[in-house]
Amino acid sequence: MAKDRNEIFQDVQEVLIDALGVDDDEVTDKATLMGDLGAESIDFLDIVFRLEKAFGIKIPREELFPAESLMNNPEFIDNGKLTEKGLTELREKMPHTDLADFEKDPDINKLGNLFTVNAIVNYIEIKLNAA
Amino acid sequence: MKFILIDKVVALEPGRRITAVKNVTLAEEYLADHFPTFPVLPGVLLLEGLIESASWLVRETEKFAHSMILLEQARNVKYKSFLAPGSQIEYNIEAKIIDENISSFSGFGAADGRKIVEARLGLRHFNLADKDSAMAAVDATVTENMKKRWKLLKKLKS
Amino acid sequence: MRWIWIDKFIEFETGRRAVAVKNVTLAEEHLHDHFPGFPVMPESLCIEGMAQTAGILVGEARNFQEKVILAKVKKAVFFDYVVPGDTLTLEAQIESIAPEAAGTTGKITCGKKLIAEIDLMFSHIDNNLAGIEFPEENFVFTDTFKSLMRGPAFSEQD
Repeated sequence: MAKDRNEIFQDVQEVLIDALGVDDDEVTDKATLMGDLGAESIDFLDIVFRLEKAFGIKIPREELFPAESLMNNPEFIDNGKLTEKGLTELREKMPHTDLADFEKDPDINKLGNLFTVNAIVNYIEIKLNAA
Repeated sequence: MKFILIDKVVALEPGRRITAVKNVTLAEEYLADHFPTFPVLPGVLLLEGLIESASWLVRETEKFAHSMILLEQARNVKYKSFLAPGSQIEYNIEAKIIDENISSFSGFGAADGRKIVEARLGLRHFNLADKDSAMAAVDATVTENMKKRWKLLKKLKS
Repeated sequence: MRWIWIDKFIEFETGRRAVAVKNVTLAEEHLHDHFPGFPVMPESLCIEGMAQTAGILVGEARNFQEKVILAKVKKAVFFDYVVPGDTLTLEAQIESIAPEAAGTTGKITCGKKLIAEIDLMFSHIDNNLAGIEFPEENFVFTDTFKSLMRGPAFSEQD
């Protein structure tokens, strides 16, 4: 199913509006799921289920939202920041996300900021094109 | 066991917002089943607290014009934390719109500085007599009883 | 008041779909508070009936190994109300299931009338790092709930 980026964005926007109960003007490209849109753990699961349904693809939650496993692995965290190993792991797991800003200050409390609407759209685009 | 899921209404702005509180005590029967060894207020009763709070805001705002105020829809009701006996939860409801027969709200409940529940809800308000004029007496009875209950609940901080 | 809002299962397909019934009767105390003068089954308790139907369906799919609790009401929309003498039919389907959570869709009918559509999300709390300490045993699926797993709906189960 060939969808252009705009169509993907609109479908992702609809999923987020339904799952998070936010208005369409809040779901901008740069909006962060946790900070701006108020998403939490249970919402991440709801979002994954809905995205799978909307796009007809399988989305291992780990691929889209890898933070949890990173945050729980002592090899990746040192003093509240991601280690080099952690950053490498993150880069591998989130090719759909721009990590430049985060790498300047890899504070794990800021991991949440990486989950933007844009990141999801990128991820879906990659998945659909690979299919 | 009474089915009233708020204890006091402590703040109210007609048409706009309402704040109510509920004490949770082990004396509440359902806690024995929910859950044995881990008593917490059932999620739907947290929602009921929000529904009742919003309903009282409607009743006050429309001056008890309708006897029946029922939940028409609840969306994105999220349970964030557990509420155990010995705690008091404060429900805060903001009205988005209160029309004659329909209203919508967003609200949350918090206890001990933690958010317990949040939801968006819509209510519908009507009289039984709208469909069957013979029911007007029943509407009057329900309304009288709810006015009495309001006297018990209304403890606005002046 | 017991915290059981369904009476029995009439259909049960492991991992897929379940149908339960609930009788509504004047013998239920809470109806006399909601509302005094005209009893209707509270919508929040209808949601609980669906949560129990769907929750048991989800729990059974994984042999009741996890504690399955209601985490989110995605949507609950009500089209009509329910009175004593009514029998509710609650049908739930598993829409998605993962190690840490599950999503269900469902509807409640009374005879031919559609009463509600309810979509829920459950969390398997043993699989979620809630940072809260829980008792070891599965306090969610007690014998009371397991006793519902008997009868003609289950006679063909392996």
